[in-house]
Amino acid sequence: MLDRNTAPAIQKIQKINFVEPQVLWINDSVKLLWMQDVPNETSRIDLYFNAGLRQDRNVIVSLCSSLLLSGTKQKSSTQIHEQIDQLGAYFDIGLSHEGVLISIFALKQNLLEAFCLIFDSIQEAIFPDKEIAEKVTEKRERFKISSAKVGFTAQRKFQEKIFFNTPYDELTQISDFDNISKKEIVDFHDKWIKKGLYKIAVVGNIDSKELETIRSRCKSTCITSPITYFTDFCNSPGVFHAEKKSAVQSAIRVGKTLFNKTHDDFFDFSILNTILGDYFGSRLMKNIREDKGYTYGIGSAIAETGGSGYFIIGSEVGTKHREASLDEIKKEIESLNTLSIGKSELGLVKNYLLGQMLKAADGPYAMMDLFLSVDAYSLDMEFYNRYIERIHQIHSDELKSISKKHLQWDSMSIVSAG
Amino acid sequence: MVEFQRYKLENGLTVLLHQDKTTPMAVVNTLYDVGARDENEQKTGFAHLFEHLMFGGSINILEFDKELQKAGGESNAFTSNDITNYYETVPAQNIETALWLESDRMLSLAFTEKSLEVQRNVVIEEFKQRYLNQPYGDVWLELRPLAYEKHPYKWATIGKDISHIENATMSDVKSFFKKYYNPSNAILCISGNFDNSIIRKQVETYFGGIPGGLKPARINPQEPKQEEFKCKSIDRDVPANAFYYAFNMGPRKSSDYYLGDIMSDAVGKDSSSILNIALKKELELVTEISAFITGSLDDGLFIISGKLSEGISFEELDKQLWIELDKIKQTGVDAEKLIGIKNKISTAKAFQEQGLLNRSINLSFFELLGDANGINEEPLIYQKIETTDLIVFAKNTFVKTNCSLLKVCTNA
Repeated sequence: MLDRNTAPAIQKIQKINFVEPQVLWINDSVKLLWMQDVPNETSRIDLYFNAGLRQDRNVIVSLCSSLLLSGTKQKSSTQIHEQIDQLGAYFDIGLSHEGVLISIFALKQNLLEAFCLIFDSIQEAIFPDKEIAEKVTEKRERFKISSAKVGFTAQRKFQEKIFFNTPYDELTQISDFDNISKKEIVDFHDKWIKKGLYKIAVVGNIDSKELETIRSRCKSTCITSPITYFTDFCNSPGVFHAEKKSAVQSAIRVGKTLFNKTHDDFFDFSILNTILGDYFGSRLMKNIREDKGYTYGIGSAIAETGGSGYFIIGSEVGTKHREASLDEIKKEIESLNTLSIGKSELGLVKNYLLGQMLKAADGPYAMMDLFLSVDAYSLDMEFYNRYIERIHQIHSDELKSISKKHLQWDSMSIVSAG
Repeated sequence: MVEFQRYKLENGLTVLLHQDKTTPMAVVNTLYDVGARDENEQKTGFAHLFEHLMFGGSINILEFDKELQKAGGESNAFTSNDITNYYETVPAQNIETALWLESDRMLSLAFTEKSLEVQRNVVIEEFKQRYLNQPYGDVWLELRPLAYEKHPYKWATIGKDISHIENATMSDVKSFFKKYYNPSNAILCISGNFDNSIIRKQVETYFGGIPGGLKPARINPQEPKQEEFKCKSIDRDVPANAFYYAFNMGPRKSSDYYLGDIMSDAVGKDSSSILNIALKKELELVTEISAFITGSLDDGLFIISGKLSEGISFEELDKQLWIELDKIKQTGVDAEKLIGIKNKISTAKAFQEQGLLNRSINLSFFELLGDANGINEEPLIYQKIETTDLIVFAKNTFVKTNCSLLKVCTNA
């Protein structure tokens, strides 16, 4: 007879086999990574350019990145996009403070051709006036729509406090869209796209000749000396609220300057962060969603930058629950600072983290992403083995002391809008 | 080719097994043949509220997520107008935990007042977050009842009105469970790294003993054929005027679905699509325009939506839009463009099938459509489509009397 009251035995995850991509150097500063063993027809190339928001006015950087495929001397924007379609390829352009990431997705037999087409179009972009005008209108409209959202307002205020007095602290204003010269975009492109390629990652079972073509094609656009990142962040603590009368929910952002994977406390803090707000059964979710019903979701995360990082808690809560939600967030943090985490909760989080690690290492794309995520800080896959070891070993006392060290409520920037 | 085995338990549960020895993970996916279209018009939003309650503990297990997380797994679910789908992703060695959990909540829920009260509040916050606190967030709450007058697609999955969720009672919850959450109304798909003979035994152990019920009959009111053009304007505090053209089209199982899918890519998927080039790039009437289909199991909608450029009227847009649609009715989509669309569909499909979870959900969904093997047959259907087929689709679909238009006017 089946006993439904007793859980089936669980097998712990002890070890995960991490596979590193091949590393080919293009010059002393630029690597080409290749994960060749893919059991299907898919493939992807990621191109990393040192052309992030920190390099110039936000509006110029963002226009440049979204106009990279807007036309060359030979081809119009429409022609370029039609050729990409013919190859059945997709691309994605992502912009952050520290870089532009262009990803190309295609079946492997079309990858090289899609790469050459997109890469050349990007390098030879001429930024036609009409394309600029159209993009400016589109971006201005999107900006207006975003500005109507409390999440956007809170996020901006939070960024202002987190990146206080650094090269990352500019906030786009609507008036910025009226003040654009083509020359600024072209100059930015010359400096940071034509000479700013700093990493290439290929996943796909293409042949080595094709890889060689990619490598030689990239060479002249690569950076020639290592990139340096700003390290000296210090958030401006305090409580800030932006009122919006018509809102039915308030957005909350709470956080502070932290660190990235290179810091000695990173593993311990990651585990602590999971307990607090990084999974469905986290303390914040359990309390503020599953017990109080104040929100549809709440979470916390560590966001990394090249030279530092920050901690953030985010949620949208019913406007009448804003104060109560902030109180509960504070209580949860204080509880981590003062009370020991129980054995069963810690055991659960350990198992959960190991399971998630196994999932994060499932397949060549996942493996490449894991590698990229450590390689950005000059670490290797051994990082994950050390993390697994740390997950197995960590005690609740150690978590309490890491919490006391980094999660003091008074050190937080506490922002709400709505 | 996605390989699978299919069989039925005595209680009526359909089981699909899809083995993949290359992954260390496993996915247990359970699709229930119930969605918002099965709701009572006075109690809408219920299928989705119920999805939340499925995580509130079952008859023998206090906390669903906790047990799964202990096994290194995680889970989630989604509800549409047609289906409710639950999944667990776990390390393959702990697949039994997922079977234990999923089978127990198919057997019976815990039905606690606290869970109902909290999830009502959570869903109300979800309603606010997605539909009320966003510019254009309530568009689907307005567009659905404009396009559908009789069919239950006239309300959104979240529900017609917050009060319906507020008023949900425990007896509603219990009778909904009894009617829809039984083995004969479900498809269980297990994917990943497992041994077929072992998994079959485990499925029998955990699911075999659940009493089989009757598969509920579905008698939805049919939408009468639309005879005249419908139009509605609403004023909202939004930055730009927006338009939503909804054309009636056939259901998921008809050829209309494939034609509509390709047609929507051709007219409005990205910057090289027909309407983007004509109305945005060349005439500058809009700041954005896109097209998509709802893909619903009963008759669906083909949507063209976008935002007007400053100083452009709805009438100007309307005139040019119909000029473009009439051209498509005459000449279809050019051959080269059609090849590009088909190539993109093949690429997208290959990437989708990379993911174990996607494969599980798709196998379950195709089984609901009639045969899980549809996952392997569908690419050929797309490849066979020709421009003449698209002309027929355009002539049938892009007709004024087949269209409902919602205008969102800025009052700023």
